[in-house]
Amino acid sequence: VSAATYTSARSIADALSALSSGARPIAGGTDLVVGARGGKAPLPESLVAIHAIDELRGISSAGGGLRMGALVTHAEIVANATVRDRLTALADASAIVGSHATRHVGTIGGNVMNASPAMETGGPLICFDALATLRSSSGERELAVAELFAGPGQTTAKADELLVAITIPEPASGTGSCYVRLEYRRQMEIAIVGATAVVTLDGGTVRDARIAITALAPTIHRVAEAEQALNGSDASDAAVHAAAAAAAGASRPISDVRGSADYRRAMAAVLTRRAISTAIARARGGRFPIPASPALHGAVNGGPA
Amino acid sequence: VATAEKPFIRQDGKDKVTGLGRYTADLGMTGMLQAKFRFADHAHARILRIDTTKARALAGVFAVITHEDVPDVRYGPFVQDRRLFAKTKVRYEGELVAAVAALTAEIAQQACELIEVEYEPLEVVHDIEASLQPGAPLLHEQWAEYGASDDVVRDGNDCSRSTIVKGDADKGMAEADTVVKERYVADMSHAVPIEPHSIVAQWQGDRVTIWSSTQVPFVARSGVATTLELPESNVRVIVPHLGGGFGGKCEFHYEAQVAALARVARRPVRLVFSRREEFVAPDHRREGQVLELETGVRKDGSIVSRRARVILDNGAYSADAPFFPQLAAMMAVGPYKVENVFVDASLAYTNTQPSGSVRAPTAPQACWAVEQHMDSVAAQIGLDPVEFRRRNIVKRGDESPTRQIFDDIGAAETLEKAVELIGYGKQLPDDEAIGVAVGWWPSFGIASGAYVKINGDGSGTIITGAQECGTGAVMALPLLAAEILGMKPDDFQLLYQDTDAGPFDSGASGSQTTFNNGRAVMQAARDVREQLLDLAAEELEANRDDLELVDGVARVKGSPSKSVSIPDLAEKAHGDRLLLGRGADAVPEMPECDASGCTGRLGMESFLAPTFITHAVHCKVDRETGVVRVLDVAAVHESGRVLNPIGANGQVEGGVVMGIGMALLEGSLIADDGRQVNPHLLDYKLQTASDSPPIRIGWVDAPTKEGAGGPKGSKGIGEPPCVPTPGAIANAIAKVTGARVHQLPMTPARVWEAMNR
Repeated sequence: VSAATYTSARSIADALSALSSGARPIAGGTDLVVGARGGKAPLPESLVAIHAIDELRGISSAGGGLRMGALVTHAEIVANATVRDRLTALADASAIVGSHATRHVGTIGGNVMNASPAMETGGPLICFDALATLRSSSGERELAVAELFAGPGQTTAKADELLVAITIPEPASGTGSCYVRLEYRRQMEIAIVGATAVVTLDGGTVRDARIAITALAPTIHRVAEAEQALNGSDASDAAVHAAAAAAAGASRPISDVRGSADYRRAMAAVLTRRAISTAIARARGGRFPIPASPALHGAVNGGPA
Repeated sequence: VATAEKPFIRQDGKDKVTGLGRYTADLGMTGMLQAKFRFADHAHARILRIDTTKARALAGVFAVITHEDVPDVRYGPFVQDRRLFAKTKVRYEGELVAAVAALTAEIAQQACELIEVEYEPLEVVHDIEASLQPGAPLLHEQWAEYGASDDVVRDGNDCSRSTIVKGDADKGMAEADTVVKERYVADMSHAVPIEPHSIVAQWQGDRVTIWSSTQVPFVARSGVATTLELPESNVRVIVPHLGGGFGGKCEFHYEAQVAALARVARRPVRLVFSRREEFVAPDHRREGQVLELETGVRKDGSIVSRRARVILDNGAYSADAPFFPQLAAMMAVGPYKVENVFVDASLAYTNTQPSGSVRAPTAPQACWAVEQHMDSVAAQIGLDPVEFRRRNIVKRGDESPTRQIFDDIGAAETLEKAVELIGYGKQLPDDEAIGVAVGWWPSFGIASGAYVKINGDGSGTIITGAQECGTGAVMALPLLAAEILGMKPDDFQLLYQDTDAGPFDSGASGSQTTFNNGRAVMQAARDVREQLLDLAAEELEANRDDLELVDGVARVKGSPSKSVSIPDLAEKAHGDRLLLGRGADAVPEMPECDASGCTGRLGMESFLAPTFITHAVHCKVDRETGVVRVLDVAAVHESGRVLNPIGANGQVEGGVVMGIGMALLEGSLIADDGRQVNPHLLDYKLQTASDSPPIRIGWVDAPTKEGAGGPKGSKGIGEPPCVPTPGAIANAIAKVTGARVHQLPMTPARVWEAMNR
């Protein structure tokens, strides 16, 4: 389990210089440490702790959108009023990452850079056109979060690049969103299947729909066919069903201990339909509990299904 | 007696809640080394060669041991079929081939990997039905030569077979108006204590002291003595706080291997299991089962006949599972009047982790199958499932499957109270339903001892051999002593657990702590009481028959001013004769029965002080996903007389949540190579606090006759609460979906598949 060297950076510059000499960053440690203890992968030889870097903290307004430092925790995201009102799917997702403890220690930066195909926040970030700001000692670049995910546990970031912030543009007015996952229990859970819907209504018509599926392929990705089924439609049940079926069709699930590929594919349709219905209802001004998952999953006071 | 008005706070509670409590893994000693095991690399293989040269040469390694370094002893409580380390064959993935003690756990692990083991892989048998087929590879070629209890009926891969025979089941079936036949399969599951196995061993001369996270310290002591060929008096077992057990820390586990390492290394050695090791290695996980059930009923709902074939999974070696077939056979009938019975139960060897007692072994799975079957039978004859049970549940004077005649029991009352508490029959949304299941469980009478002493300052000390495993049973012993001695529970300190100090107790297993040790503590307290009264009679110049012990004083009945305090008496005694009480109450006799036609009789043919349970569970089923949520539970128990309602309710709450876990998510999958697929907590999903529903608890007061049960007519409480929960949930699921789930756990995918069959 032991790492050979561990340094604590006080500034981004410190951290970047450690990264350029081969160190790997650690913040909450909810993936790295837990993974090492569980025998998934040993800790890197050299670690640079970034949790004390104040420049990486905080959620701030950026244009009409938001900028989240890499150290922003899931609990902070859930508590943010703008996220809850305008980027509701992200609040849905952040509210169900791991356990209470995970959400208070785990960070958005770590979650994104861990690049799990089952991560909760990935779908919402992709659908909201979130940008990742990567910095290295040689400069800074921005790229879409969608382009960051390269495969299970793999990103397109270079080893000396540090994720410093995630920026999300302001969604168009009339947008409602939802992230929902298939979960077998309430806490300490990981998505067996997840679906994100971000739907912008213009009167009764869908002007723009973003649909992403989670834990159904090596990376979280948007499903163009599902979006096309909704775009320009009247958001009717038929359109929603067609989009959900398209999402299931685009899934490439595996069979494992959490469920068979057949079951996952069937659930892709169910979960996508529920995410879209709730996003549409929210776009119309309806109020549904955050997170949406338990309510859509047999909770006593359930939402729409 | 503790009540809601007079709450009783456990002595170990604050330490455990605040993190001050010291567990075995917290112990540190000068020069202490860390142990790691080399586990089998195959689930079934012949060992051709073991070479430890490279491991021994690694810097920081102090001891590397294999079967060659310990006595060649086979051991096991019923069948002596295992050794401390594999010698000729490995038979499951968690079997030990070698052990290493080194300066750090990392070095020890590295050394384990440097041990060269050459194998000849053999066909893996992981299916319990395949194991019993003619021509299946034998796991133990020398099975017939193994030492074993005479009562265990064995044949090749069938390690223990039991039958329950009553009347003529075939004839009964022919007379029935309706016959229903079903098949159910339960996957293996685990105890999953939060604290993994931890052991520290230290030698002083030829005596070894072992700190162990065991539920059964005396059993562990005897296991070490047997396998290392030491006198039992040279082995001392101490248990610091125990972080849960649920049966997973019963039996004798790794105490001997760690002691053997410490002897070779000449240093204290510590072993702490990882979660993965905890899942795959210890010989105590809940057994898988296949149950074929057939029931013949008359139109009026009376049960003419029950035939059943039960196959249980022993795993690769025999822990205490050989008595499971007989227990499962009793469970396959249940607490019902059944005129004719034939149950045939076998225990199959497989290349998987050995089974052993986990909270109410065999019962939750068997009850899950039988209670679904009862609902199926009721549906076939058009009876409401509760009404069907009402007509058949056993009452005073009725007989068990082996013609044990029941005394004053409250089985029927648990059924009535549970359906009332849950509101059975109320209008529910169409995706919700209430399922009901009834179960039973015996109490276990075993010898157990305790001392109670009154110290010079008037405080009391209870010295017990009983082991606290988290249930609070040991913590509640002061309640029993205090009441007899007119003192407060807080006046007592508990001295446990040290096999050199406490009298024998069989440990935290079989719901037996209060049942047996409670009687011992009461007897010891009564012994001291006599001594106190003698002293007080002299002191007060009163007739000792006129005296009572109340509120910390000895006083003359009717004239309370004539009194002397217990501390004053204690001070007096201290200068003269000490106040020491001993208790080892006689074990209640097993009830009479007629098991003449039964084979494989291992003590379960009659049930001592049987407990009865009904759970009624209100569930919501998400029909599209198969996700089941438990919304409300009514759990009504007859456990004789309840002594400590807070403790008893705690057992029910924990048991129900464990039962929900077993029902919905807890199960291990076995790959074709015999390895567990999900030996970690992300994919072996326990229930969390957020999943726990409200639990309404009811008690039916039905104390046993004097001498036929535990203290004051009580019965065991620890195990029964998880017994009927899975069956009740299954029946609720079937009501909502119209489909029966025939495999446990009833995961969302399985519920969905049942609906889409």
